[in-house]
Amino acid sequence: MKLITLFTKNGAGLLESLGVHIMLVILSVLAGIVIALPLGIYLTRHRRAANVVLAIAGTVQTIPGLVMLGFALVLLGIGTLPALVVLSIYSILPILRNTYTGITEVLPAYTDAAKGIGMTKSQVLFKVELPLAMPAIVSGIRISAVYIVSWATLAGMIGAGGLGDWIWTGLATYNTDYILLGAIPSAILAFVFSAVIGAVEKAMTPRGLRRRS
Amino acid sequence: MFSTVKKIISISLIGLVAVAFMASCSAGGTITVASKDFSENILLGELMAQLIEAKTDLKVNRKLNLGGTFVNFNAIQNGQIDVYPEYTGTSLTAQLNMEVINDPAESYRVVSEEMLKRWDIVWLDPFGFNNTYTLAVTAEVQEKYNLKTYSDLIPIADQLVFGAEHEFFDRQDGFDGLVAHYGLQFKGEPMKLNTSLKYQAIGKGDMDITDAFSTDGPIKQYDLRILEDDKSFFPPYHAAPVVRKAVLDQHPEVGQALNLLAGKINDETMTELNYLVDVKGESVEEVAKAFLASLNLI
Amino acid sequence: MSELLKAMGEHLWIVASSMVAATIIGVALGVLSYWRKKLGVFIIALAEIVQTIPSLALLALLMIVFGLGDLTLAIALILYALLPIIRNTHTALNELPPHIIDAARGMGMSRAQRLTKVEIPLSIPMIFSGIKVALVNSLSIAVMGVLIGSGGLGYIIYRGIQQRNMGRILIGAIPVILIALFFDWAMTKVQVRLSKHTNGV
Repeated sequence: MKLITLFTKNGAGLLESLGVHIMLVILSVLAGIVIALPLGIYLTRHRRAANVVLAIAGTVQTIPGLVMLGFALVLLGIGTLPALVVLSIYSILPILRNTYTGITEVLPAYTDAAKGIGMTKSQVLFKVELPLAMPAIVSGIRISAVYIVSWATLAGMIGAGGLGDWIWTGLATYNTDYILLGAIPSAILAFVFSAVIGAVEKAMTPRGLRRRS
Repeated sequence: MFSTVKKIISISLIGLVAVAFMASCSAGGTITVASKDFSENILLGELMAQLIEAKTDLKVNRKLNLGGTFVNFNAIQNGQIDVYPEYTGTSLTAQLNMEVINDPAESYRVVSEEMLKRWDIVWLDPFGFNNTYTLAVTAEVQEKYNLKTYSDLIPIADQLVFGAEHEFFDRQDGFDGLVAHYGLQFKGEPMKLNTSLKYQAIGKGDMDITDAFSTDGPIKQYDLRILEDDKSFFPPYHAAPVVRKAVLDQHPEVGQALNLLAGKINDETMTELNYLVDVKGESVEEVAKAFLASLNLI
Repeated sequence: MSELLKAMGEHLWIVASSMVAATIIGVALGVLSYWRKKLGVFIIALAEIVQTIPSLALLALLMIVFGLGDLTLAIALILYALLPIIRNTHTALNELPPHIIDAARGMGMSRAQRLTKVEIPLSIPMIFSGIKVALVNSLSIAVMGVLIGSGGLGYIIYRGIQQRNMGRILIGAIPVILIALFFDWAMTKVQVRLSKHTNGV
């Protein structure tokens, strides 16, 4: 099949781009977790601030990817690092929002019971709230990862490396081969991330609490 | 009572839609003017669009900044666009896949004949300037290695990172031809970027040498130094409108209108106009309008 | 300024027409997946798959098939709008109180009558919410249309990127963001009002 020969011929370069793409996703989602998780927990203790912060984060998410990349380009230049900065910022909201809702939706009965048996605040957090919120948090991470796979293809515009570079070259030179070489693997990658993290999410949800995300 | 109100509203809505529809279909028809994705070509496209609007009955559908050479060429071949600004050298090598021709008149003659013969595409009169590919380096790089010509690059090319727009690597008159002709070996893998981003990249030091278009504004903006093509690799690139023959047959006034620009834009003028758009940040529409007014064409 | 208004007009026109089409198709598919459960699982799974595809990849792939231009962008917008609308329609219909449906059956309504007179009207708030989500997303995705020969505010943004002109990027971006925020706020308000209407059930 012509498609298969296309992929085998460009295998080496494509694998390298795939590697860069995966790295971009993992690094920016990790950065998002590092920022969003503590922030989300903090906001559950300061509900008034929560509305403001969530609203700001929500607004940032309406900024089209092309625009954010434009900002990165003008302020930071081209390459992988500016792309990582933008992608990390984007990965924050889904994780933040799900951490916040995950924890706030833990039934007060549970936290009361925990306090009742003498747990300290941090014990309540780590032994009751976080475990119960974990399915929601992982769901947020999954949503974030799928978004980032998508944004990372856009980042090919500023030379981030990754599968997007192929799509951009294809668009620039009207070369359908390059477009296919970039688009198909990136779609598959998105599915893989979604499926893998989704499986983790299912595994973490106690049967009684299975909810639709 | 409410149903009469509903009837009135629906009839007026239908009426409005019908009027709007009829208004958009102008008496003379529509022509689609496109351009490549860098300022000079967008400017030329806008000049052509405004000229057609001023001198004919036609309505212009603008598709400026459509994409690279191949995007525009493909689009005009399948009738999605009707006219865009092209360059003789580009047509010869990238589209006709022929050998480079260094004589401008001969080059123009060959592309006109072949494009008409192969694809029914007509070359109108050239605007009057040559925007050739050239190599540009930053001031620092030029001074560091004392570079004047392309040949000066040969001994130190492996210390320079080369970057260019995607299509430069897909054309015979591009990267592969260049390095073969001069025997150059640059550092690592070349960078491939969108056309307009390469000047930012070289300005910031992300790369050391790029293919510049000789009339580009950012050359002055980033204080880039042009090297001399001492072994004459790059052919002349004279710009002219290319238009579908079918459109020209149906609307010969398009050809008459666009040929009013023949020979009116020389190298300096094009560079100046580019400079106004890219460095001074003026809008393409304003610059085009002012220029056409200065020629008493609108 | 006129350039901006023209771009805004183009942008809104493509998003609006895509949303109308997506609503018609999405609600229809949502109803279909409600009437036939097994088919419904398949439809929703398909819509989820489409949603997961990176938007630039989908846009570029569609361009290969449909060429450059507004139509390709519209098709991409419709595809991305389907999941929220189908899913919300399906969920709303499924979560209708059974006694309402029994009552409608009892009154002798046919399936079609039940749908148009009872089930859809009661589902409107949730369907509306799905349309809202789809709309806000579409406004953002439509910006990428410039890459495949469409216009809209993306054109201004892209020119700004090409010329390294932050001002131009903002001139194109701020309307997109403001319009998205406006619709999000306005449609949420309408949705609340609609919910109150149907809460007498």
